[in-house]
Amino acid sequence: MTVAVEAPRVRARTLVRHKTRRALLFWCFLAPSLVIFLLYRIIPVVWNLVLSFQYWSPLKAAEPAGFDHYEDLLYDEVFWQALWNTLIVIASAPIGIALALGLALLVNADIRGRDVYRTVIFLSYPLMTVAVAIIWRWMFDERVGLINYTARLLDLVDKPIPFLNSFTWALPSVIVANTWQILGFYMIILLTGLQNIPHELHEAAAIDGAGAVHRFRRITLPLLRPSLFLAFVIGMLNSITSFDLVYVMTGGGPGRATEILVTYIYKLGFVQTKFDDAAAVTVVFFMLLLATTWAANRLAGGNVGAAETE
Amino acid sequence: MNRYPRWPVHLALLLAGFVMLVPFYWVLKTSVSGENIYAYPPSILPARVNLFYYVDVWYAIPFARYFLNSVAVSAIAVAGNVVFNAMAGYALSHGFRGKNVVLVLFLSCMMVPFQATIIPAYLITGKLGLLDSWLGLALPQCSTIICIFVFKASFDAVPRSLIDAARIDGLSEWRIIWHIMMPLSKAAIATNVILAFIWSWNNFLWPLIMTRSADMQTLPLGLARFLSYQEDTTGALYAFCVMVLAPGLLLFLLAQKEFIRGLTSGATKG
Repeated sequence: MTVAVEAPRVRARTLVRHKTRRALLFWCFLAPSLVIFLLYRIIPVVWNLVLSFQYWSPLKAAEPAGFDHYEDLLYDEVFWQALWNTLIVIASAPIGIALALGLALLVNADIRGRDVYRTVIFLSYPLMTVAVAIIWRWMFDERVGLINYTARLLDLVDKPIPFLNSFTWALPSVIVANTWQILGFYMIILLTGLQNIPHELHEAAAIDGAGAVHRFRRITLPLLRPSLFLAFVIGMLNSITSFDLVYVMTGGGPGRATEILVTYIYKLGFVQTKFDDAAAVTVVFFMLLLATTWAANRLAGGNVGAAETE
Repeated sequence: MNRYPRWPVHLALLLAGFVMLVPFYWVLKTSVSGENIYAYPPSILPARVNLFYYVDVWYAIPFARYFLNSVAVSAIAVAGNVVFNAMAGYALSHGFRGKNVVLVLFLSCMMVPFQATIIPAYLITGKLGLLDSWLGLALPQCSTIICIFVFKASFDAVPRSLIDAARIDGLSEWRIIWHIMMPLSKAAIATNVILAFIWSWNNFLWPLIMTRSADMQTLPLGLARFLSYQEDTTGALYAFCVMVLAPGLLLFLLAQKEFIRGLTSGATKG
């Protein structure tokens, strides 16, 4: 009798033990990744926040600083300039997305060689941004850059524009280069969205006599909304973090004309070794990022998901 | 409904393709032309084609050293991604206690771009004693959340009965990953390899912050430095640029399907 009662209990216990063991094993499998994310994502975010409320520099003991660093930022003109420039770069993302939407519609058409077109348009995205920055420096070159040369050839300008050395033109030039690089990625996202729209919808609407423009506005655009907002989130992340391009193309100059928050953080932290000030700017930068992503998510009316920015 | 003229579509796409390709051409042209690159008007076709500038690069900078560093760092990052992400992806394709915590943690980590962590990341790497080393350069990129989910999706598609059978045969979980799951997930492996390679190969900010010696510089860093001390010089800069772009371009053209699939699956995952 006792055996009969014991048996299921023992089996249940070994099963539980087995399950715990397996769970433990799975945690071990996760451990390397978790350690990396802990070291390079989670701890840094917390540390940044702590650091922004301290006076600290390497080899010195930390002292509490309250909101001093944030107060300093209020009177820091460079910070405001960098914030403003960052916002302008973010605001320029929709232009690229609109262009990419046009391209996505074109390469979604039933035409010959569309794979080649897709590859060519996407080609610039996976390339090293430092090299892309050098390519565009050369394109914008005052003397022999292709852009100035063409403009002069067509008599659009009297004398060459020093794009990257001009306060007016430097930021737009960087934005052009940035858009050029990411355009293909937008296109792929929107293309995936377009291909997910059921074909029957268009056919049914066409039979009902809806014109192409009408179908685009009433079917394509609404159904493409998640993809459009995903593209926007990615574009926002891309432009807010485009350190490489700005650093190599202009170094933030002329003056502070192309300084963005990331380049300013780098300069504060690693050129002037003011780690605590840089941490405060980083916190603002991170808040801006969260706010924009959150807003985009809300506008998209659903969870678009986070995007990779590496 | 498909009866519309094709030529305007081709025309528009040719124009777009031209805009996308012409910057490459302009740099390539400069890198192989044999005359003063600042001569005005610039020639549209390369004048007196030769490879002098490429030879210049070889002598002006330790290209081989930069290349070795880049390859080593990328190799570590790729190996780390394949091994760690496969392990993590396998764990996540099962139910276990605490899984939801891990998922939430991963999804919130995705919201933290590397640029927002540079100061503590630098300090932490310093504490680990890994500044100015290959491992330190690769470590932050040795596992990526998107790529974990790529593995997870691939493992989820493997029939559960196969795993159960392997367990009954006495295979350990570890062996199940390497002998059963991985051979069935070649596409996921390819995506991991390519994404990890491209991210690591192109990475600039992290090496810029944490390398000190000239010996440890990677190609993007070498390229940026070359630019900064050669302000206006020869076409060697552009030759260097082409040499740096070529491997990434080649890899992308060979494996663009895996690359794009990885990016889109990562981007559309919730």
